[in-house]
Amino acid sequence: MTTRRPIHLEALTIQFDERFQLNNINWQIEPEQHWVITGTNGAGKSALAAVLAGAGERVSGSLSGLPARVGVVSFEAQAELIEAERKKDDADILDVISEGTPVHEMLFKDCADPATARDLVARFKLEYLLDRAFRKLSTGESRKVMLIRALSSNPELLVLDEPFDGLDVDTLSMLQAYLATLIETVPMVLVLNRFDEFPDFITDIAYVNQGELQLQVKRDDPKAYAELYQLLHLKTTQLAVPPADPETAIPALDPAQPLVHLNGVSIKYDDKALFSDLDWTINPNQHWQLSGPNGSGKTGLLSLITGDHPQCYVNDIFVFGFKRGSGESIWQIKQFIGYVSSALQWEYRVGTSLRNVIISGFYDSIGLYSKYSDRQRQIADQWLALLGMSHRADQPFNKLSYGDQRLLLIARAMVKHPPLLILDEPCLGLDDMNRQLVLALIEKICAGTETAVIYVNHHPEDRIEGIENYLALNAPTPTQ
Amino acid sequence: MPNNYFNTLPLREQLEQLAKCRFMDISEFSDGVSALKGKKMVIIGCGAQGLNQGLNLRDSGLDVSYALRQAAITEKRQSWKNASENGFTVGTYEELVPTADIVLNLTPDKQHTSVVTAVMPLMKQGACLSYSHGFNIVEEGMKVREDLTVIMVAPKCPGSEVRAEYVRGFGVPTLIAVHEDNDPKGEGLALAKAYAVGTGGHKAGVLMSSFIAEVKSDLMGEQTILCGMLQTGSLLCFDKMIEEGVDAGYASKLIQFGWETVTEALKYGGVTNMLDRLSNPAKIKAFDLSEELKVIMRPLYNKHQDDIIDGTFSRTMMEDWANDDKNLLGWRAETAETAFEKTPAGDVEISEQEYFDHGILMVAMVKAGVELAFETMTAAGIVADSAYYESLHETPLIANTIARKKLYEMNATISDTAEYGCYLYNHACLPLLADFMKGIKTDVIGRGLPVDDNGVDNARLIEVNTALRSHPVEAIGAVLRGHMADMKKIV
Ligand SMILES: NC(=O)c1ccc[n+]([C@@H]2O[C@H](COP(=O)([O-])OP(=O)(O)OC[C@H]3O[C@@H](n4cnc5c(N)ncnc54)[C@H](OP(=O)(O)O)[C@@H]3O)[C@@H](O)[C@H]2O)c1
Repeated sequence: MTTRRPIHLEALTIQFDERFQLNNINWQIEPEQHWVITGTNGAGKSALAAVLAGAGERVSGSLSGLPARVGVVSFEAQAELIEAERKKDDADILDVISEGTPVHEMLFKDCADPATARDLVARFKLEYLLDRAFRKLSTGESRKVMLIRALSSNPELLVLDEPFDGLDVDTLSMLQAYLATLIETVPMVLVLNRFDEFPDFITDIAYVNQGELQLQVKRDDPKAYAELYQLLHLKTTQLAVPPADPETAIPALDPAQPLVHLNGVSIKYDDKALFSDLDWTINPNQHWQLSGPNGSGKTGLLSLITGDHPQCYVNDIFVFGFKRGSGESIWQIKQFIGYVSSALQWEYRVGTSLRNVIISGFYDSIGLYSKYSDRQRQIADQWLALLGMSHRADQPFNKLSYGDQRLLLIARAMVKHPPLLILDEPCLGLDDMNRQLVLALIEKICAGTETAVIYVNHHPEDRIEGIENYLALNAPTPTQ
Repeated sequence: MPNNYFNTLPLREQLEQLAKCRFMDISEFSDGVSALKGKKMVIIGCGAQGLNQGLNLRDSGLDVSYALRQAAITEKRQSWKNASENGFTVGTYEELVPTADIVLNLTPDKQHTSVVTAVMPLMKQGACLSYSHGFNIVEEGMKVREDLTVIMVAPKCPGSEVRAEYVRGFGVPTLIAVHEDNDPKGEGLALAKAYAVGTGGHKAGVLMSSFIAEVKSDLMGEQTILCGMLQTGSLLCFDKMIEEGVDAGYASKLIQFGWETVTEALKYGGVTNMLDRLSNPAKIKAFDLSEELKVIMRPLYNKHQDDIIDGTFSRTMMEDWANDDKNLLGWRAETAETAFEKTPAGDVEISEQEYFDHGILMVAMVKAGVELAFETMTAAGIVADSAYYESLHETPLIANTIARKKLYEMNATISDTAEYGCYLYNHACLPLLADFMKGIKTDVIGRGLPVDDNGVDNARLIEVNTALRSHPVEAIGAVLRGHMADMKKIV
């Protein structure tokens, strides 16, 4: 094995064309590593792979250690080759209709390693089309030709973008096995969408989102690996937010009335006011971001709305058609609200199953104390499918990771499709991966339902698409 | 001097009242809080029960305010703060009681005679007076004005639990009763049911009982297994470990958190489950120890029950009340001076299983205490359901308090009445077990059985398992936990 050096991308920003740019990529590929780049469609994973093949225009940052011979297979490279073939035809001035370059010439002319090429032709069973013109091949056939070309080019780096796409089962396992024989000789970067296609020799995974390399996960870190799987599932699933339960539908509200109207409210302890004389009106379907430093009373304010703060009875509060303190029960209020916070998560230390936690959202309870309907069970199962947790439906909630618990509590809050969803610092205490997961779920919810969202957050980077109203609380005042 | 109400009844009626207890079906609560809707509820006292019951009732859409004694208002005492910071209307008896449709007396039992005497003349014609414990009616023979309805709604948990479970959307098991001498309009039961719904109790299970059954079983449970046994057990086990050279910090921790850990197993599957957590040899050991303990302690349990039934207990305690609590305060100070109380828990890791393995004697004590209390209560005519709640069910709740701050916390959390009874039990039980403790070594408390021999005799094991499973407290426990589990899918 030749001594190889790492490939190093540092703060690299690369422009592809007007529409696409990769931003601030920091990435190191060690010689003995084999990477998968993954992400949703349009996230930039093919672009990142293409950078390794020299594509794109560097805006800033640096790229070093790229070897001279990079074997590339991708749709783009394939399209380029076919396009080039077509151009050759057009340029042909002879009367005879050109057949284009035959496959054997594509494979063996200028081939660095004809023995390998021959071997692979046999493995792919391509002998029958060696004499055909390259541009006449089907997509699958020309993809195989591309693969053979890349593998027989004595590559120092292999960049294979969706190499398994369109291959039948036998060919796929043949190719996987073949690649496995190369791991000592050449580092590989594969772009793959499906976790089940990740070859066993992969050591590292890069997750690309919105033109950024957001997460790097070691294959042998099972927890991070499982979370990445879940994230990709949430990002790519076709599943929509499950419907509400028609039998336990929340009573209809007057659409002309605000959901919440706080009139000059305050919270006071002893001589100290947390905040005072505050007005806030939340209309149906209106999204709000609530911000303010620690101790400014964000959670207190929210608990006036949810009825969890005892002083809601001494303030002028109108919620969901009720004037507070007029004989309504808190359960009549809570039925209109979905609520998630880390405090709730502390409260929710129950050993009940994941499915039951979601169902408990229909009853606004912590734990499940009611007999539920088959329909509610079905809806809970649909949520679990959306979260990629179907196989864990019967596991105990308190054994879940912190981030998974958060996801589940968001689903619990949304299961009844409340007119108001309160997310009190939903990303608090979560690592990057889980933040991505939670944000992916929230985006899914915001896009698919008619719920007004109140989003409380410190981190400006955790912004959510579609929030147009802002309320900021001030730091607490020492007296009155 | 007070007149013991129970003792004025003919035997026939005493037995009938003691045996009153029925687990109510959830469908009996379908009217919700409607019987109290729009009525004015005035709570006297804003302590553990007063505040938390009031918060629940208000959150259930009911009209709640607090009448406090003048001094509490003027001095802005904790009770005043509790009520006003939570946004309740607070006033004097004169201001609020005359407007009340129902007065909830949630002051300490010791004060009930003076409180009720002060409040009753202010109550409007045909109103309702409610208690969360029947001591005043049963033991002191309080005579309530004939036009007033008298009910009891007694949550079987400390006030903080009453609130916490409600907020979760659940409730705590609750006992309700109507004082038959005071139900002029026949509305007592409807009011008690609505009140139980307002606190969330109906979701966790309600026992329809009598003032008498509640008092006689509640007193018995709290003085013996719930508080007395845990106190005596703590002191004996700790002193034994020290005597045998176990590290003091370890010994202190093993006991402080051991009760909580081993009795947690009761919640899931009763005494059987608690013993099933032990290895086979340890289980047989615990069983044998508890059989021995039961023989030694049975006369003491009988005496407690007898004194409770015939009023001796309440009479002597009330004598102490009249004597400025001289005994109670003295015994409280004595407890604070015990070696266990004064040794802080060490900074050592003890795994959940180790609490069982090294606490075989503690397991045996809990088993003996639960079974004796249950057997004694049912022998006195108390129905098994009641006896279960007042013994096995509440044991883990009390054990939690020891985990927080040892015996001090337990005795501070429970009522003065329970505390008084607990010391009585402890004083009698310590000498009673002195001989027994001489034979105890660290294999059953502190270090665990030697691991080299894990074998047991099959026939003996089967015998022990059968005995465990066939105890009557296990049968009723399975039924009542089943009711709970039906409603409460989590444990
Ligand atoms: N603790 C339990 O686990 C439990 C469970 C079930 C039922 N209960 C029953 O609930 C009732 C209340 O017990 P608790 O534990 O809630 O008592 P607590 O916490 O001691 O509270 C008693 C309240 O009554 C007030 N108070 C004391 N002496 C008074 C007097 N002479 N006149 C007027 N108010 C007085 C106190 O306020 P000020 O001193 O500031 O006036 C305090 O707010 C008792 O009947 C008890 O048996 C208790």
